[in-house]
Amino acid sequence: MINAVPLEWVLTVSAALFCIGLFGALSRRNMVGILMGVELMLNSVNINLVAFWRYLEPRFITGQTFALFVITVAAAEAAVGLAMIIAIYRNWATVNADDVDSMKG
Amino acid sequence: MYDVVDYVLNTTFNLGAAGWVVSLISYLMIATVLFLVAPLQMLFLTYYERRLIARMQDRVGPNRVGPEGMFQPVADAVKMFTKEDIIPAAADKWVHLLAPLVVVAPTMFMFAVLPWGPGMTPIDMHIGLLFFFAVSSISAVGLMMAGWASYNKFSLLGAMRAVAQMVSYEIPAMLSLLAIVMITGSLSIVDIVQWQGGLFISSSDVAGVPNWGLGWFVFNPVGFLAFAAFFIAALAEGERTPFDIPEADSEIVAGYMTEYSGMKFGLFFLAQYVLNFLLCAITAVIFFGAWQGPGVNELYALGITPDNPDGNGWFNVLAGVLGAFYFLFKTYAFFFVMVWIRGAFPRLRVDQLMDFGWKYLIPLTLVNVFSAAIWVGFNNWGANEGFGFAEPLGDLGRWAVAFVLTLAINIAAYIVMTRIYGETRRVTFDEQLADTAGLPS
Amino acid sequence: MELLIQIIFFLLAALILGAGVMVVAVRNIIHSALWLIGSFFGVGALYLLLEAEFLAVVQVLVYVGAVSILILFAIMLTRDVSGQGERLLFQRWWLALLVAITLFAAVITPTLLAQSWNVVPPTGPIEPGQPTGIAGALELGRGFVHEFLLHFEIAGVLLLVALIGAIVIAFEERNRRRKVLTLAEEHELRKRREQTSDANASESALSAPGHPISQSE
Repeated sequence: MINAVPLEWVLTVSAALFCIGLFGALSRRNMVGILMGVELMLNSVNINLVAFWRYLEPRFITGQTFALFVITVAAAEAAVGLAMIIAIYRNWATVNADDVDSMKG
Repeated sequence: MYDVVDYVLNTTFNLGAAGWVVSLISYLMIATVLFLVAPLQMLFLTYYERRLIARMQDRVGPNRVGPEGMFQPVADAVKMFTKEDIIPAAADKWVHLLAPLVVVAPTMFMFAVLPWGPGMTPIDMHIGLLFFFAVSSISAVGLMMAGWASYNKFSLLGAMRAVAQMVSYEIPAMLSLLAIVMITGSLSIVDIVQWQGGLFISSSDVAGVPNWGLGWFVFNPVGFLAFAAFFIAALAEGERTPFDIPEADSEIVAGYMTEYSGMKFGLFFLAQYVLNFLLCAITAVIFFGAWQGPGVNELYALGITPDNPDGNGWFNVLAGVLGAFYFLFKTYAFFFVMVWIRGAFPRLRVDQLMDFGWKYLIPLTLVNVFSAAIWVGFNNWGANEGFGFAEPLGDLGRWAVAFVLTLAINIAAYIVMTRIYGETRRVTFDEQLADTAGLPS
Repeated sequence: MELLIQIIFFLLAALILGAGVMVVAVRNIIHSALWLIGSFFGVGALYLLLEAEFLAVVQVLVYVGAVSILILFAIMLTRDVSGQGERLLFQRWWLALLVAITLFAAVITPTLLAQSWNVVPPTGPIEPGQPTGIAGALELGRGFVHEFLLHFEIAGVLLLVALIGAIVIAFEERNRRRKVLTLAEEHELRKRREQTSDANASESALSAPGHPISQSE
């Protein structure tokens, strides 16, 4: 792998995925859609961590460990985020982020 | 396999193929064989189950097609192939089409780490066990797709039930496996099988035990509790009675399969039976030593192994046949138990199912993980890890102390948990009625 | 061999990015979630290509097996799946697009041009007696109970907090739940109503205001 594919290619894929996720998180109205964008971003971060680990210091576990912690955080975030979406849906009967504006002046 | 292909290509035909070409060809051959094995297992298991359940219900079962009805599954398959494929008008066409594939494909992947005999594991991954269960969790996505795409309330209900059940019973299954992984210290399935040599006492725990291939994990208290919990969880994962509520035909037609017909229904059916086979197989692998049994190790030692390159290849074949026989025998025995349970028990209710998984199995398996720690401490740890006080007991003494301690803990946990679970107040029908309808109870 | 790996890499990159684009572009939120699963799967395969076996399996187990199921469940528990007749994006979505593209350009330019990544990775065994120079599940497990012990425990606490938090947030009190009677309950209710009307108890609890059946009749 490291002989055939230069590190830049992997980083490019990861950066592109991050930007796709960012666009999704910033522009979708559906709250679940926003959450999915965030998940994409976290995944791209993980690709970066694993790629740097593999290409630069495969003998140490730091990169993989960080990726695992990111996965943990992503799982926790998904659970709490989706619970919030369900709670909001129950009170406002909407899943669109811009309809939940009762705090707006 | 690699060696055989290498020999044929590079020595017999002198093609000078590179290493990765040889690997590719050998893995393709193995994959082809496994793809043939999976549907054959399904055909056999359907026949086996129908005959067995018929015998238990005092009937005869299918006995018309071929000798003793042996070709009944083939006839069923032909029927399945020729039936019309109906897609509901309101269905989501692509998702409806993809769902059976997403359910079937993971069950095929799972064959990749199954050990059929000594030296006969398709891929010996370092993390084979985790791979097996990670892949099996993919099919939940397929069920969800099937349920949603059918545009039918029964499908959706069935899919929701199936997924909720699979996701919740994955936890006790994983926790019970965790106890075993703690003992072996490896996630590789080959290592786990290798560990189970011995005679009721694993020769990896106590040196000098005769290796008859009978040191299965089920013979120690940790392994036994893990086995019981895992088998119950496997029943739920494979949607077998008492946990077959996702496709309870008296409640929700056929669950997520309601809107499927023809070959797509056939694929669901295939996935279900192959999954049942795999769950029985992995139970046999982890708790009953897979191919371990009297004679296999002795035969294999005479064959060509990494330690013994001058052995006779025929002994490899013999050991493989004997090992595969033991393995399949154990697997079918577990499938027999599954059918037996189907013949004996009624179906659970959804809330009972969830209660049982979360409030009974999970605490019990957590206690089992604790017992496993004690087991590992006494048997495998020495003075470096702080278990120096156990060393004067000798190997057998340490094993005995660990056995008694874990047995006491597990029995106590079982009694306490059963009592707590038994005393939990269930909501009666009257109370539920009062709750939903606002009636005074 | 190298060509094969490059082809696999490009296929995976196409799967990851294509599925990622579909996630943000598709109107139907369920399809969006299914594309997301495709993207997760591609990332898992990429880990496998990067020889991080354990992470690949964890990716499949956690993302494909749990997070995406959670997302699908959340979508099905909230209505409006198809998203027909609604705006898909915010009004100022072009601003978000601009931000994303600018960021991509800003990140990728120095990565490709101003930096040389031709670092030869250190090879050789991790510890004496170890065959490969790549840390695997064993080293990872050892790290979790030695150097990363605190992080590991914090992650555990985080998961516990998330578990409790999710339950507290999504918990629905019994008396606020929508009241749908099952067939058996309806049957029982009718039976009791007949009994009470026989006893001429006109002011029974059944005719209390707000009761679904008494309202409908």
